[in-house]
Amino acid sequence: MSLYRGGSALPTDPESRIILAGEYVLGTLDAATARAVQDAMIGDAALTALVQEFERRLAPLVAMSAPEAPPVELWSRIEAAISPKPRVAPARPARLRLWQGWAVGASLAAVAFAGLALLPPRGVPMMTGVMLADANQLAWQAAIDRQGALHLAALASPEGAPPDTAPRGHDLQLWAQPPGAKAPVSLGVLPRGQAVVNISALPVTPQPGMVIMISLEPPGGAPGNLPTGKVMFIGRLTQAGPPT
Amino acid sequence: MQAETSLSDLLAQVVAGDRDALRAIYVRQSTRLFGVAMAILRDRTAAADVLQEAFLRIWQRAGQFDAQRGDASAWLAAIVRYAALDAARARGREVLSDNPTLGDGVLEAEAFNTLARNDETKRLHGCLDHLPPPHRAGILLAFVHGLSHPEVAARLDQPLGTVKSWIRRGLLSLRECLS
Repeated sequence: MSLYRGGSALPTDPESRIILAGEYVLGTLDAATARAVQDAMIGDAALTALVQEFERRLAPLVAMSAPEAPPVELWSRIEAAISPKPRVAPARPARLRLWQGWAVGASLAAVAFAGLALLPPRGVPMMTGVMLADANQLAWQAAIDRQGALHLAALASPEGAPPDTAPRGHDLQLWAQPPGAKAPVSLGVLPRGQAVVNISALPVTPQPGMVIMISLEPPGGAPGNLPTGKVMFIGRLTQAGPPT
Repeated sequence: MQAETSLSDLLAQVVAGDRDALRAIYVRQSTRLFGVAMAILRDRTAAADVLQEAFLRIWQRAGQFDAQRGDASAWLAAIVRYAALDAARARGREVLSDNPTLGDGVLEAEAFNTLARNDETKRLHGCLDHLPPPHRAGILLAFVHGLSHPEVAARLDQPLGTVKSWIRRGLLSLRECLS
């Protein structure tokens, strides 16, 4: 029997919590339970401590993996991924469009990154969110770091493929809409085929509740300063760590 | 020869945005870390994707490393392991490996005994050694190869419920032994 079924609470008795933390570190939890543990750790210092304890205790076992050299081109891929240059969509005047009609599909829990046991330093208001495609399928993970930079990472689909890139003849454009704002602001056209995008200078101040979305646009981006095409992915940022 | 900059110092330089420091970490650690991902994913393309993802996390989150709480190489390996486990889950771990020898390495006494030779791992070795062998096997297969409960059960040719209970009891006794 699983320790956790989606929607129900994680176990509360001390022994089950120890086992849960141990199995999280061991890696035997299913995806939903592992995510539930990551979420729970945000507000549960005792659980976080248990997880960290197992991490520390079991860490030496990685020595049992046989070392193997990675593909030679991997470093250049990493280097390219840490310095993406998203093109900025041209800002041309445009007619106002109704924005309020967009539905935010799901209420998004702060999705913790794997390894959230490594919590951000105290006092750092980090934010995370995920953007979902149809059927609530996770597609992109977003995070605001303490410098206020936005980091987007494509999540693999259950089939192992990254989320759809723009169909031929289109570009994907990223937008942010702070809570209370009537319209989104363009954050630029996403570079093609990039699984990771970092944007260090945002034209809006990131805050919890901010909606981020990706729309399908003509090449080069929306002709105006509002999205014109289908919203492919949408999500909302939430506070990632306890504010202190 | 000049002493090598420590991994913790390199991570501190990464926090300051130093790409060369990240590269130095990669040069020094990528073979070990790729091995960690390969042990779990057994696919070079998938393991390369995971290592790339892990280095992006390291680039973005080096500031979360706390030298007071653990050593840098363990921190790096944990990032790679969790990323590889996520990838293994996304790939669908219910598809059992068709490799009957998978995990033989970690189950060999020789590999296990290497843990006894190092001061840092001697204690863990001692505690694992106290576990009944099948409990230990379940824990090693899960940790090193990222096997799920059903995969461990298939590998050890035991009922799923039995294996789950072995692993749970093994974790509890390990914790008790190590604290």
